[in-house]
Amino acid sequence: MNQEFQTGIHPDADQLSVFVEGAATSREQERMLLHLAECAECRKAVFLMQPQEETQPAGRTPVKGWIWGRLLPVGLPAAALACGLVAVLVHIWPRDGALRNPQQVASLRKPEVLPKTTVAPSADSEMDQRSGTPRSFAPATNRSRQENLSLPKSLNLPESSGQAAAKVAAPETTRANLSANVPVAHAGGSAGGVIGGISSELPLNGRNFSNLQQLSTPEPAKAAASQYSLAKEKDLGGLMIEQASGHDKTLAEVSGHITDRSGAIVAGAAVMLRDASGTTRETTTGVDGSFHLTELPAGRYELTATASGFKTSKQSIELNPSQLAMLQPVLEPGAASEQVTVETASAAVQVETESANVGQVIAGQVVAEMPNVGRAVGVPSGLPVTASVSHGKRFISLDNAGNLFLSRSGGKKWKKINPQWTGKAVRIELTPAHSSEAPPKPNETSGKASEAAVFLLTTDAGTVWTSKDGAHWHQQ
Amino acid sequence: MDIPPANITQTEPLGAEDRTTSVAKGIAVEMELGPEGRLLPEMLGEELWRAASAEMVELSKAEFAEALETIGTKDNFGLDPGKQANERQREIFWRALHLEELAMARGCALGRESAWRRFLAQYREQLTRAAVEMTGSAALGEELASALYSELFGLTEREGKRWSPLLRYSGRGSLMGWLRAILAQRRVNQYRKTGRETELGEIEPAARVSERIELKQLEDLRVAIKMTLSAASAEERFVLSAYYLDQHTLHEISRVLRVHEATVSRKLKRATEHLRKELLRTLRAGGLSRRAAEEALGTDPRDVDINLRKLLQESNGDPNSNKERQE
Repeated sequence: MNQEFQTGIHPDADQLSVFVEGAATSREQERMLLHLAECAECRKAVFLMQPQEETQPAGRTPVKGWIWGRLLPVGLPAAALACGLVAVLVHIWPRDGALRNPQQVASLRKPEVLPKTTVAPSADSEMDQRSGTPRSFAPATNRSRQENLSLPKSLNLPESSGQAAAKVAAPETTRANLSANVPVAHAGGSAGGVIGGISSELPLNGRNFSNLQQLSTPEPAKAAASQYSLAKEKDLGGLMIEQASGHDKTLAEVSGHITDRSGAIVAGAAVMLRDASGTTRETTTGVDGSFHLTELPAGRYELTATASGFKTSKQSIELNPSQLAMLQPVLEPGAASEQVTVETASAAVQVETESANVGQVIAGQVVAEMPNVGRAVGVPSGLPVTASVSHGKRFISLDNAGNLFLSRSGGKKWKKINPQWTGKAVRIELTPAHSSEAPPKPNETSGKASEAAVFLLTTDAGTVWTSKDGAHWHQQ
Repeated sequence: MDIPPANITQTEPLGAEDRTTSVAKGIAVEMELGPEGRLLPEMLGEELWRAASAEMVELSKAEFAEALETIGTKDNFGLDPGKQANERQREIFWRALHLEELAMARGCALGRESAWRRFLAQYREQLTRAAVEMTGSAALGEELASALYSELFGLTEREGKRWSPLLRYSGRGSLMGWLRAILAQRRVNQYRKTGRETELGEIEPAARVSERIELKQLEDLRVAIKMTLSAASAEERFVLSAYYLDQHTLHEISRVLRVHEATVSRKLKRATEHLRKELLRTLRAGGLSRRAAEEALGTDPRDVDINLRKLLQESNGDPNSNKERQE
């Protein structure tokens, strides 16, 4: 019987399977259908061949439900995780360019009360020279807070091999003199020690040696070049993350060394790394001031460095799998206070030392009404604000791309100021009007205030522009 | 009941000539070579042999090349009969085969140990599961599967030689699909032995057509159905048969045809309407008024369905009658 079925006029199993799997040629398909239309047995066989769903259609719905039921506990957290990831990405992405360490720019407006000390040079510049495309990340979360505290720490994060070089370079490089309104023209430090043969007349703070190479030949006032240099500078973050080879690909490492502002190593400093869930990893720096933490799951961490006699340094870092983050926290002496609180008869007065011209800082303004100078105010560009000055309700903020924003509403609404100057604005200050009279009362109307105070803008080309109202600028 | 075969019955039995020759080839694989020597270039043969991991199933290059050539000539490399496949077409055909599964099947058919080990490891469980699925019972399914196993293992003998149906597997479809097909055929054979009568009897509900229409008209209707069907496409005929005779759902049919359910529905509707119109025409030509003809076929769609089924069934007659006649 079987034989007859097989060898008779019916299609054999091979033809049936070819038909059912859709591998038949059109001619074969046609012949098969013709046969099936007539042959109840082969039809039956063909329908029998269909997998489970065909023979037990009733089983479908419960199976489906069961699958969903089982997937739900896994699927929901997974979906939530994915959403979170997207949110983090969205958060980081637009700022990516901007995140490249606001501290470097922030240091531009360090109060001059601070002694001119050497700061660990941007070893990342070397790195930039050597490795074509450094990947740098800067903390996104604590940025504003850091700015608010105006912890003028300079983060220099060389790639691992550059670490030693960075140390060597440290004492040789002096920080730029920031009090100068003409930074470019102002000779900074000697970078020659690091990059060999480039004796630059340019300020070195945060600058990129590779760009200095460019700048060393053209005249300092070459605006375009310096703009480029500054732009590049932003790319070199306080945090340099590079691919660590030969490690577990899912884990990351952090290493670096801690110095104080003079570039001296800080041994025995406690370094604590706290992840989002609060788990901490701790270590202390060795005699050479270096620390190293390995086998860290990727994620966002907060790095805290503490040493007696210094202020606690905090920064948040984002670790990607199989990356080695090189950090170089710079500890500030604990004594140097960022804020001076003066007790007056009426109220606590806070003096913002954020402005570069410390001597001219408006003194005696009431804290409550003091506009939030240095506060990370959201500007339309979405970039981190590197400097902010205010007068009355008139705020001027400078983001780290050099865009200037003006708000007449106390920070609620911002308007971009179209640059009338060439080059990039690097510093914004507020000085009292030419007379050294007492500054206007903060609750005065902005119109009055603008008469009494002058906004000072310095571009990277070294020109100084002034404005009374923030909108109209004149070169000095 | 016994109607002289109209066009529909003249359909050529599927690949009858191919089948006999291929069976012959299946039995005597070793002897089968292309008429003008080797069809398979040595380079390609070796490449395919490697791709099939034929060495793992103790299949020599020559054996595998033979298998490929046999299959190629049997199906004329996927071309219409009469056409001569060129080298490129042959290569395309061979490359599209499930080479690894083909090598395994050949190895098994030739009784190679390692081939069997692989086969068992890979398909035993699936095969049993499929059999259980088809029979709807664990006991029946296991019985079916083990019967097939012994057959595949070559316990049956043909012309004094151990013979395994695996020799017939061409590699054009998947091996699992082929196994399912064999299982389904075995299962249908079981039906035929046991339950066919009752199954046909199930489709006996109110056959109003027969009641209302005179005998002569019924004859006319049968002829009309055959005429209409013969003009219809193969696919339409398949859909009509599967739907009205086997009472498969649209979903089931759509899976077999690998089209969307809605497409099947559309096809079925069109075929049904066409059929109904033709039948009405025939009835009226036979002397019935339009109304009487419509009444005879039924106005309720369900009636139409039932009546069509009945008519189709009757006009199709015994599904095996054609075959038997031709044998």
